[in-house]
Amino acid sequence: MPQNDHQHPKRTLAEGGFTPNTRKPFVELGVTSCFSFLYGASDAVDLTVTAWEHGYDALGIADLNTMAGIVRLHAEARKAYIRPVIGCRLRLITGEEFLAYPRDRLAYGRLCQLLTKGKMHDQTGEWQAKGACDISLKDLAAQSDGVILIALPQADHIEFAAGLRRLKKALPGLRYIAASYLYRGDDRARVNFLDRLARENRMSILATNDVHYHAPERRPLQDVMTCIREKTTIAKAGFLLHANAERHLKSPDEMIALFSEWPHAIRATRDVADACTFNLTELSYEYPKEVVPAGRTPQEYLEELTWAGAKTRYPDGVPEKTRASIVKELKLIAKLDIPQYFLTIHDIMMFARKEAKPPILCQGRGSAANSAVCYVLGITAVDPAQHDLLFERFISEERKEPPDIDVDFEHERREEVIQHIYSKYTRQRAGLCATVIHYRPRMAIREVGKVMGLSQDVTAALAKTIWGSWGREIGVAEAEEAGLDLNDPLLARAIKLADQLIGMPRHLGQHVGGFILTETPLNQMVPIGNGAMPDRSFIEWDKDDIDELRILKVDVLALGMLTCIHKAFDLIEAHYGKKYELATVPGEQASVYKMLQKGDSLGVFQVESRAQMNMLPRLRPEKFYDLVIQVAIVRPGPIQGNMVHPYLKRRQKLEKATYPSPGVEHGPPDELERILQRTLGVPIFQEQAMKIAMVAAKFSSVEANQLRKAMATFRSRGMVTAHKEMMVNRMIERGYDAEFAARCFSQIEGFGEYGFPESHAASFALLVYISSWIKYEYPDVFCAALLNSQPMGFYAPAQIVRDAREHGVEVRPPDVNFSHWDNTLEPSTPGVFAVRLGLRQVDGFRAEMADRIVDNRVNPYATLENLKTRAGLDSSTIHRLAAADAFRSMQLDRRAALWEARALKDAPDLPLFAEKDTADEGVDYAVTLPDMPSCEHVVADYQTLRLSLKAHPLSFLRKSMARQGYTAASDLEQMRNGQSVSLAGIVLIRQKPGSAKGVCFITVEDETGVANLVVWPKIMAQFRKAVMQSRLIDVRGYVQRDKDVIHVVAQELHDRSDALDRLSNEPVPIQLARADEVLKQIPNSHSGHPRNVRVIPKSRDFH
Amino acid sequence: MERTGNAPPDDLPVAMVAEGPHGPVIHDINRAAGLAGVQRGARVTDMKALLPDLRIEYADIVGDRRAMEQLMFWVRRWCPWSVQDGVDGLVLDTTGSDHLWGGEAKMLADMEAQFSMLGLTAQIALAPTWGAAWALARYGTVRSICPEGEIPQKLSALSVDALRLNNGTVTLLRRLGLKTIGALADVPRLSLTRRFVKAKLNENPVIRLDQAMGHTAEPVSSPDAAPSFRAHARLPEPIMDPTPFLPDLCADLCDQMEAQGYGCRRLLLTVYHTDGDTHRIEVAMSVHSRDPDHLLYLFRDKLEAINPGYGFDLITLDAAQTEQMEVVQAQLEGGTDEAVDLSRLTDRLTARFGTRAVTRPALRESHIPERAQNWVAALGDTLERTKTTAPDRPIRLLYTPEEVRVLYAVPKGPPVQFIWRRQTHKITRYAGPERIAPEWWHDKPGTRLRDYFKVEDHRGRRFWLYREGLHGDGRGGDPRWFVHGMFA
Repeated sequence: MPQNDHQHPKRTLAEGGFTPNTRKPFVELGVTSCFSFLYGASDAVDLTVTAWEHGYDALGIADLNTMAGIVRLHAEARKAYIRPVIGCRLRLITGEEFLAYPRDRLAYGRLCQLLTKGKMHDQTGEWQAKGACDISLKDLAAQSDGVILIALPQADHIEFAAGLRRLKKALPGLRYIAASYLYRGDDRARVNFLDRLARENRMSILATNDVHYHAPERRPLQDVMTCIREKTTIAKAGFLLHANAERHLKSPDEMIALFSEWPHAIRATRDVADACTFNLTELSYEYPKEVVPAGRTPQEYLEELTWAGAKTRYPDGVPEKTRASIVKELKLIAKLDIPQYFLTIHDIMMFARKEAKPPILCQGRGSAANSAVCYVLGITAVDPAQHDLLFERFISEERKEPPDIDVDFEHERREEVIQHIYSKYTRQRAGLCATVIHYRPRMAIREVGKVMGLSQDVTAALAKTIWGSWGREIGVAEAEEAGLDLNDPLLARAIKLADQLIGMPRHLGQHVGGFILTETPLNQMVPIGNGAMPDRSFIEWDKDDIDELRILKVDVLALGMLTCIHKAFDLIEAHYGKKYELATVPGEQASVYKMLQKGDSLGVFQVESRAQMNMLPRLRPEKFYDLVIQVAIVRPGPIQGNMVHPYLKRRQKLEKATYPSPGVEHGPPDELERILQRTLGVPIFQEQAMKIAMVAAKFSSVEANQLRKAMATFRSRGMVTAHKEMMVNRMIERGYDAEFAARCFSQIEGFGEYGFPESHAASFALLVYISSWIKYEYPDVFCAALLNSQPMGFYAPAQIVRDAREHGVEVRPPDVNFSHWDNTLEPSTPGVFAVRLGLRQVDGFRAEMADRIVDNRVNPYATLENLKTRAGLDSSTIHRLAAADAFRSMQLDRRAALWEARALKDAPDLPLFAEKDTADEGVDYAVTLPDMPSCEHVVADYQTLRLSLKAHPLSFLRKSMARQGYTAASDLEQMRNGQSVSLAGIVLIRQKPGSAKGVCFITVEDETGVANLVVWPKIMAQFRKAVMQSRLIDVRGYVQRDKDVIHVVAQELHDRSDALDRLSNEPVPIQLARADEVLKQIPNSHSGHPRNVRVIPKSRDFH
Repeated sequence: MERTGNAPPDDLPVAMVAEGPHGPVIHDINRAAGLAGVQRGARVTDMKALLPDLRIEYADIVGDRRAMEQLMFWVRRWCPWSVQDGVDGLVLDTTGSDHLWGGEAKMLADMEAQFSMLGLTAQIALAPTWGAAWALARYGTVRSICPEGEIPQKLSALSVDALRLNNGTVTLLRRLGLKTIGALADVPRLSLTRRFVKAKLNENPVIRLDQAMGHTAEPVSSPDAAPSFRAHARLPEPIMDPTPFLPDLCADLCDQMEAQGYGCRRLLLTVYHTDGDTHRIEVAMSVHSRDPDHLLYLFRDKLEAINPGYGFDLITLDAAQTEQMEVVQAQLEGGTDEAVDLSRLTDRLTARFGTRAVTRPALRESHIPERAQNWVAALGDTLERTKTTAPDRPIRLLYTPEEVRVLYAVPKGPPVQFIWRRQTHKITRYAGPERIAPEWWHDKPGTRLRDYFKVEDHRGRRFWLYREGLHGDGRGGDPRWFVHGMFA
């Protein structure tokens, strides 16, 4: 499973190829990397390589008010045998700047605390805005113990001299003044001045080149960054830019030559670097101790919990296989010394299940589902013994990475868990991880275009030539297509600069749920800043940095379906009197699978998309494992790897499953059968691909791990090719067919970007089954729970309600005398319930108002006036309810209610009239308004509720449509393959999956049912406007059927939204399904956990 | 666009865009774009996705507003009172004016014709009230005329949209089944008032209805145009030389301006030849003025350019770019204000030699010394001052740097001696180098960087030298040296 697929491929140095440099008299300390956003223009890799080439043996790093870049430099420098000197550049709110280098771990902690304070609170102690950092001289003085401070003179050194006395007084430890030789004309005079100033104050100057980039060639990018920062163009930037390209990393010899008159300035750098012995590896990570009872070792306690858990999981005794794997896992856990990690997660889940009121549903997923220990501890819900999962994928000795446990919580209540973690471990010890947001191609070209003064048209055209967010480079062909002349020097330069900007960090975002918990205060390890969201704080390092330092993190994720299931369980308990939990839902019920086989899966977790719905009747799942495959197979990986059709054929028994075997002398002939049997010889899961490599090509676990990494991270060409040769050759050696070997590898490659691990699929499949079970057994409950958990899933409320009604559920409109905020069940006939739509379905209504209505509803509200006074509502709320037709129980239809509602006034009657029966305005005379026709009611329903229970808008058009020869959606079933058809329907979803070669799929709905349209690219180009804009679409085409799957292949499309709007001479808003890709791009990489990103196949851009 | 003559053909979809809070949005569209489904207020990217060859032009909203304001004065050709109505409407009070144009129908036809000559399409209606005219112009028949007393009949069939109400109120009225103005008017007034008593004007159908029906007065309060100043001399006999008349004209004009407290920055002299030809002369000033002598002076020698032909019989002098001007007290001890003198000199020189002949330097932010200033017309608008200044620059910068032969320690050493204009200068002191790299976005690739040195020779003269390029920078042979300026 790709973990970084939303990120830029991280640049990193390969191990080896470097030799240690000898000790040099000079160490560059004034280094600004690209983590000083829009100041520095070079990343850690470039800086390190250049430093190594120049012969540095140590290199400082000092980013502006941040430690975000230090881990990167630490990691890269280590590989090049350069000692990283960790520090930062501090800019006070009063403008003074310092280089700050901690001598030791304690001083480093103080520096982190200082930055944390500046990032979490402003000077008045209030919640600090995201990205800002306010440090005062007083703050700095308080934390400067053990920190070597180097004052950076401002541009005006006279002014600096005047302020130095104050600095020196506040910071007695201030011993250095940075001096730079930047070819500004007055360098010698300035350095001499600073030198004299330093001597007078018993300080020393320290040489630095104030490095902003690794090589002079980077100056253009730095200039562009300056322009982006200052929001100007290159032509107007003027003196904001540096006059020359001298701020690059210069070699020690060159620096020594520049400072030949001031050798003590060079000596000072060495002194500082030698004094600062702090190394990031000293940041020893400690687990929180709360989770272990006093007097016990963590391992003991974990083992105890594990065996106790095993007893509850297997009341009839633990199966031998499981017992063996538990013992094996525990041993490994002890060896890697990570029992506390499991205990910490266990503890968080116990909070959700036991302490939270009401309990919060949660379930582990991802590779943790491979672990028997996780299963018996209740962290995951899939029995690994039954699924032959791969523990090595979770933890292995070779992998120098901590394990990764992701836990899903109900999406509406995850915040409770997060706040619990904050309060239990305190903000000093718990923090969310950061996500480094990088410049993506489109953004890069847009920003560079703006700076270079390209017109918006050209920039837009350039951006368009890049498909996808990490698309390929700008190709000549695409540029020509867009009418761009790449020979134009301005354009060529812009592209070159954009190319350099791509992948530079842009800002720090907050990771969706990755928590770091520590025993020692976290703010002494890394600065913590505030998030854009209130009550969130996150550390400055991202996942890669944390992995590098071997700090463990817990992913606290949100899953909408868990909320829905929880709400459904509550409704079942309240109305049907049965209590269920995730684990106690009756399993393997044939009727549930029957329902799924029909493709009847609207609202069900994961398998509700159009593609999944079409696959269900073909795959015909009969047991749990089929669902695991179902979840994993309808994904770009298997689709692009051409695995779907072979699997379907074998599954439908049209083809025999065959298993290639190695030469007799090389191993058992069934070695692959053992791996691939479950999936009928077709590799579907990532683990299978790995196992093939290990078994058939005899990859060692180290090699397999490298292969996994090559797959998961970006497909760096070189690495993949090397692996391919190795794997194919070894398989051929062992007697496999060359062609088969190559195919195996290409499948592994296909997984690279879109693979789905089995354990992950198994965790999901469980939720698929449970949600299907609820839908089958309690369609009324399912409908209400799904509506109450919105927004989630693929479909809009209108489609959920429609589906429920098709399943025989009675759905009643919202009403002030019956509805709650949530959708509820109310008895209709004994044992049967109807869904009463809640007031949450009313557009723009607030929960607080609904609560007031419900709280004061001791007996029914008889009149509007009555409702208004008893519930204390204002008249605009009543207007809203009246517009939503929620007063039927008062015998008022929408029109009458609106008329009455307008007559209400917010102020009480004048005191003079209070005692009288009449209102101060006198009697209201009855006025007869014309009756509201039902088509107008329906339109108004759509305008206020986004759905109508009264009728489908198309039913009013049916008569005329039938006369014009239009077919209803329900009649499609009777039509034969190839028959031509005209159809009209409301557009629900438009999708253009990346795996479908530009084909667009549209789902339309009329009053009889839904129909799926297939639009080939040629037709799409011709009728683009109709596809993009129609609410009511008119299609001419022909029927295409395959078993139960019916499509209409469009030949002509027309926008007939006008007919819809004529129903009441007003626009009829049609709520598109949430999965619609014209409205919003899916996946939305900003809102999801990276692991969720490709759950829905990525769509090709519609634009 | 149409008026400036570069309007695209009507079948090409064009949209005007304006900056919205989340990127550019469609401000207005032409017919073809409307037919293609482009909507006002939509985001440009969405509409581009819909219609990839949509042509985008930036809307000039301020210009539109100004044009509309001008148009408001222009329509006073038909009647004396007019006022703007929203961003795209004009209201004229034509009471008593129609007979001048041969009746109401003919007046409307004339209006439409005149507008179309301006390249504008106008929807026009005539009614006794503002509200009724608004409704009929937008929702009625073409050039509809509503006589006094027929408002209810004319309006009753129109939709309530025609009442100048906001969308929410219109939707509400529709939902109440009150879809036409007639239906609304039939509802008992008491019931209606009770329901809308506190509503704001654009949410209040009762007041809007009253305004349209004429139950509530809504007068046109016509704003005045900015004053215009003109002096003219009608001559009984054609003359050949207008010069003798100019002093009186200038004095007259300045008197007029002084009376209203105005000054002008532009003067337009028009002479009308007896054969129907006209000739114009325009002069401009750097500051507002109403001093007749100064104005007169600007015309000196200009009048000779006029070919008198058969002579002229009318001379007019118009003031343009007028603005209110404070009276400045003359200095008590006599003498003149130097600033005034300078601006007058500039005016005179410009009037004499043309705008391009008189320029002034303006600072530009650039590290390259010769690009740190440029020349702008002296009468142009004042430029914003740059905040930061360049580092120390010589008092005199040579127009083109002059190459010199320099003795220096190769490769990077400072200059020791140089020969410039056949004189040898021995350098006794130097400061530098100041390194100025080429502007990579501006200069040709291969342009070399410069190392500037401030030097002082043995006679105490101070120069600004630079070395172009470095040894081994891959951009040509050995570096060359130039003198670029002199310090005081």
